[in-house]
This record gives sequence, structure tokens and C-alpha cells, in this order.
Amino acid sequence: MNHLPQAWGRPRNAILGAYNPSILQPSGPKAHTTSPIVTGTSVLAVKFKDGVVIAADNLASYGSLARFTDVKRLRTFNRRTVVGFGGDVSDMQYLDRLLLSLDIEENYGSSGHDLNALNLHTYLAKVMYKRRSDINPLWNQLLVAGLDGLDQPFLSSVDLLGTTFSSPTLATGFGAHLAQPLLRKVVDDEAKVGSVTREQATNAVRECMKVLFYRDARSLDKYSIAVITKDGVELKEDEELENQSWAFAEMIKGYGTQTV
Amino acid sequence: MTSIGTGYDLTNSTFSPDGRNFQVEYASKAVENGGTAIGIRCRNGVVLAVEKIITSKLLKSGGNKRIASIDRNFGMISSGLVPDGRHLVSRARDEAASWRTSYKCPIPSSSLAFRVGSYVQAYTLYSSVRPFGVTTILAGWDSETESRVDGQVGSGPKAALAGKTKGTKAGGPGLYMIEPSGLYWGYYGAATGKGRQTAKAELEKLDLPSGNLSLEQGVKEAARIIYAAHEDSKDKDFELEMSWVSSSDGPTQGRHEQVPKELLEQAETFAKRAMEGDDDEDTATGGGETMEL
Amino acid sequence: MLNANSPLASGPSYSFATPPNQTSTNIKQHSFNPYTDNGGSTLGITGDDFAILAGDTRSTSGYNINTRYAPKVFKIGEDDGTGESAHIVLSVVGFAADGNALKERLNAIVKMYRYQHGKPMSVKACAQRLSTILYGKRFFPYYVHAILGGLDEEGKGALYSYDPVGSYEREQCRAAGAAASLIMPFLDNQVNFKNQYIPGSGEGHALEARKATPLPRAEVEQLVRDAFTSAVERHIEVGDGLQMLVVTKNGIEEIYDPLKKD
Repeated sequence: MNHLPQAWGRPRNAILGAYNPSILQPSGPKAHTTSPIVTGTSVLAVKFKDGVVIAADNLASYGSLARFTDVKRLRTFNRRTVVGFGGDVSDMQYLDRLLLSLDIEENYGSSGHDLNALNLHTYLAKVMYKRRSDINPLWNQLLVAGLDGLDQPFLSSVDLLGTTFSSPTLATGFGAHLAQPLLRKVVDDEAKVGSVTREQATNAVRECMKVLFYRDARSLDKYSIAVITKDGVELKEDEELENQSWAFAEMIKGYGTQTV
Repeated sequence: MTSIGTGYDLTNSTFSPDGRNFQVEYASKAVENGGTAIGIRCRNGVVLAVEKIITSKLLKSGGNKRIASIDRNFGMISSGLVPDGRHLVSRARDEAASWRTSYKCPIPSSSLAFRVGSYVQAYTLYSSVRPFGVTTILAGWDSETESRVDGQVGSGPKAALAGKTKGTKAGGPGLYMIEPSGLYWGYYGAATGKGRQTAKAELEKLDLPSGNLSLEQGVKEAARIIYAAHEDSKDKDFELEMSWVSSSDGPTQGRHEQVPKELLEQAETFAKRAMEGDDDEDTATGGGETMEL
Repeated sequence: MLNANSPLASGPSYSFATPPNQTSTNIKQHSFNPYTDNGGSTLGITGDDFAILAGDTRSTSGYNINTRYAPKVFKIGEDDGTGESAHIVLSVVGFAADGNALKERLNAIVKMYRYQHGKPMSVKACAQRLSTILYGKRFFPYYVHAILGGLDEEGKGALYSYDPVGSYEREQCRAAGAAASLIMPFLDNQVNFKNQYIPGSGEGHALEARKATPLPRAEVEQLVRDAFTSAVERHIEVGDGLQMLVVTKNGIEEIYDPLKKD
């Protein structure tokens, strides 16, 4: 999976040639989603000793057009878990409504139990795998952040193919290339999660959001960040990158054909 | 005209010559013996309370909840045949979910009452079914703030009014009672079940239409009224179950929940004390409330 | 593009007045590809009274490492509810989502077998059942190479290896996944003693091959480690950690060794 959601779930161009837009014609056989339309870019998350930090910027792109600039891609579930969405925004909205109905139905039981992050991840993984098996995928990669049944930090991913994996740090889309290596510098091992503080984790994520803004052309300087601990979810949806400036750019000479 | 022996009461949906559906009236009889259930529509929320007659010592106290949640913001309690009530709960949940898939927002309480009411009414129309043996009280809070559409991820246009009208008031408390005939009205205070007469008399004294009663006071009054309504069947033990739904800035943040344990206990203490006071008055005046049945 | 040249210009000529319409064969339609390869390798070796299944713990997509710890080897039929411990192990390598789905299905079936028959499923029966599951999706396969391990009715180590559509075989040893082509020849030589001859036993056809005999457990464990440390050197999709499940009559033992993370 790379930084182009359009390429997710598709063989490389080297195998079948470039994307053929003829499939976008309304005639012909019924087709399910074969490409995402409005997309969100990276989601980043890091575990620390008491919980998880997760962030995603507030941009939804239409191809290379920065179409919507206040899209909140971190969704809370149950007041104790956060799901971060990369990829198609309409599929994200569908999943958001699905989780809402799940939450409502779960509260009908009087057991007093509610779903933790691990339970939610299992559920979402089954939804995503079912949809890919129907060849009708939900074009997203999700990060599920929260606590598991033993109140330990939980962070796991699931994508449009139903592939799941878990790690002390996770990043989707462009972040998988740019942010993941930086985040692994903070925690490279599950055993070390216990020695990472909330500040360390938050700072690392904020720094990575900045790096991504500088280098990912489909990113934005406004983002959402959430910290999930035993005390619940602290979600901030209108953060702005700090100490960010393009002022250095005018000093740069010599890129491409520029000679002066 | 009595129904017995006329034959007009043998099938559902059959009118008697004087325009009655006896099967529906029999269903109402089932309600008359159910545990008392009440609802109070307060200024900033709605309270539901029910008298659960304890039919066995082997039942877990505090268990076997009778008040059910519908969606996030409704409570439902039925008096009469308990399984019939559960079926209605299930139907109401389906209606609320189906509204959400169509309109991407919670169902308004008036619409939910309409849909459940219509459903109940349909069971008076066919000979192949029987009417519901319950009267149901539905309590809800419709969001008074502009709520987000389900799945909404942005904040929408920031400029101008964007099609909105400023200063309009929306939402608020909703309380409806649905009878076996499918008849339903919106109420300030609703009561059904065995002790409904006493309960109604007490509810009328509260001057609910003025909108002065706060939710917290409502909880206490609801407890007191259930205790008062229980006076006529004092030989049986009962348990009080209460739930509430408040405004979005209130204690339940627009959701329907069971009344917290501490508050429930406070309300019960208040209710018991009020009953003791009543006893004193009764002895003084020679008692006047026993005529109703 | 490959089809830029008209077939008429370079291809064979036709005797018809109008050549057959080629457009339909030239259209290339992109669509959703429900598969991916998550890399990694697995390996199984049996001995006289044990079976070892091993796999690295790296999960990849393309050149990215998804995680350094994603197990590919699983206990099958373990039940916390009844306290039943597992006696069968399964490894899956290829498309991880299919692997997980396959594991969960087999796991449920082995548990149900015990509930319904009151005895644990034999490895032989489980092996046949796994084949049936795989073939059941013959036209939309589980994109995995599975290896099943346990002890047979005589208590000897048993190992079954599968192709994605359920063709299977009992073997002494098998490597699967990204580095299968690197590990398997090593195993042929070191486990089945292929290309090993008894020195001085003769010349040409008279040269006597060294006979394969089951290896002791310690030696097999070391073979597994050597196989993986070598594979890590030469294959980028293999690394991070080595997980081994050893089935003996005393149950299943799990061993984890770190591998290079580069």
C-alpha cells in the first residue's frame, strides 16, 4: 500500500498498463467501486504507556484538488475508542454510520459491557474482509486506537482487503513511507511502549504531521489529534501545525530546469 | 350492551352493532392489572417510572429491567402483558433504525409515536391477530441544538445563513401514551396500569403544563406517585425502576438512561417519607382516596 | 502500452475481406484486485515424536514493513472455555487476510468436532478437512500456502502441505512463502539428505545415497534457525522475528527468536 489511495488494491501499472478510464463510462456491466473519489491521506498513531495518540489532517482531496478542508477523519466510538480513516471519504461516512448503529444496538443490552478497541477492530476487519470478498470493497485503510479488554493500549490497522496488523506505531498512506520510520525511532518495540510518555508520543505525532505537510502534496496544515487513555478520549479537531513556514523555500535554487 | 353471548367478541376486527371492538376492550383489561407505569414531562427532560411487582423471591433485585431504550434518546415502558411490550420495543427499535437509514438523523418523538401507534392499530384490523395487551408510554428528548447529520464529517458552509433560519426553536421533551386500540396522545403526565387512577390524580396536582417542574423534582415526584399508587396493593412487594432523558446540557446529555442508583435511593427515601406523612393526614381526615377503584 | 501497435501492421495477415474485430481483446479493464502478497516465509519439519512449524513474523506490503510482529503460525482447536489445549498447528503464508480467515474457519471446525464427537480431531482428519475447505473456494481461492502439523495416530510427527486450492500431501519437511525457493533445497539436503552419498561406496550408479532418518529435535530446531537466518540475508520480505511451535506428546511449545530487522 503506498501513498496513492487510487493505486490501492490494484496491480502495478507494469502488470496491466496504466489506468483505463473507459470503466467510468455509464454503459456496460455493473461495477462496484474500482477507485476512490474523494480521499483522505495519512493517519498516524503511536502507543504510549497509558494509551494511544492518533492524528489525521482535515483535508479531503478530489484527485489533486484540495476539495474539503474541514473533514474530520478521526471518529470516536463509544466514548472510548477512536477510528482514523484514510482513503475514500464516502466509504468512511458509510462506516461511521455503521458504527453509530452498532453503538446504538450494543447499548440495548443491559449487561453493562461495551465494546473495547480490540472488539471494534475485529468487527471492522470482518466488515472489510466481507466487502472485499464480495468484490465490493470499502476503499479505506483504518487505524483503530484505544484500550483492549485488559485496559492495555491497543492499536491496529485494517484495509480494504481485510488485511490486519498491529504495531506500536502505525501510519497509513504517505505516512507509511514518511512518518512510520520517524515514529519507529520513538518506539521500535512493543516491550518499550511502557517507557513512552504521553508527551513523547504526542510530540512525535505532531512533528510527523509537519513533515507530512511539507512533503505530501495531498496534506493540510490543519489536523485532528486524539489521545485515548483509561479516562476516555480527548479529541481536538481544529489543531494547526506549529512553527511551520515556507519562508525557506525562496532560498532554494536549482530545482528542475531552474538555473538562476 | 354486554359483549357476553352476543358473538361480537369472538373475533378481532369485528364491530358490534353499537360500534365497539370487544377484543380491543378485552386487551385493555389486561392492562388494568399490570404494574403501574408513569411518565412525567418536565421542563428539561422526561422521567419514566414503573412499579415492578415482585412475583418471586428468586428474582434478582435490580435485574430484569422493564424500561427499554429505543435509539439513544427514547425510553419505553409498557403495562400489561410483558412479552407484548417487548415486541413493541423491538418494533420501535426497528422503526428508529429505519428512520436513521432513510433520513440520517434520529427519529423525532412525534414520528416514533406515530409509527408505533400505527403498528398497534394495525393489530385491531385483522381476525388473524389479536390486539396488543399493553398500554405503552414513550418518553424522549428531541435535540434542541442543531445536530449533525449521521456520518457528517465537515462543518458545512461557514458563511451567511446557508439556508437556515435564525432563532427558531426546535426539539424538547416528548411524552406519548399508546393504547391497545392504537390510540395515542401526547401528554404532560401519563399513567397506566393498576394504580393509574391514583397516579393520574397525583399527576394533575403537579401543574405540569406550566413547565415549572425540573427534571430532578420530576424524579422525586415520580417515585412518590408510584409509592402512592401502590397503596392499593400493599400486600405485594414491589421494586421501583426509573429512567430519564434530559436536554443535551442536562445530566444525561440528551440520552435515555436508567436513573443513577444514588438518585434513585434518594427519591425512594423521599417517597417513603411522603407516604408516612400521608398516613398521618389520612388518619386525621379519615382517608379519602380509597374510593377510586 | 503493449497494444499500441495495430495487430494488422505486425501480426499475421488474414484471408477475410475484413479482419476480425480486435477491439474487444484490446480493451484492458482495470478493476479491484482482491489479493495482495504480505510476504514472509514458513517452514515445517517432523521428527520421530514431534513436529515443528515455524514462520517469520514480518508482514509487508510492497517495500513497506506493516509490522515486525504478525504471527503466521497458529494453534488450532485451543479452547479457553473448556480448557482444551490444542494439538494441531497451522501455518499460513501469502495473503494474510485470507490466511486469517482460513485459520479462523479451521479453528472453529476443529472445536465443533470436539463438541459434537466428544474427542479431539485427528491430524489426518483435520488435514483432509483443510483440503476440503480450500477446494471449496476453488474459483475464488484463499491465496495462501498452508502447512498443517501435529502427531499422527502412532505418535509420530505429521506434516501436511497444501497448495491454495487444496491439493495436499504428507511430507517430512516443507518450506513455503517468499523464501521457499531458498529454504527448500537446503531442507532437501539437510533433512532428506538429497545429494548426500556414502563416501567410497562405489562409482556412478553404484554410489550409494545416504539414507534419510528422522532427526532429533535439537538438531531440527537448529536447522530451522539456520534456514531462517540464511533466508533473512537474501530475501527482503523475511525477517524481524522467528516463531516456532513445537508439537510433542506433552503439548505445544512456543519459541520466539529475534531475526535481523533490516
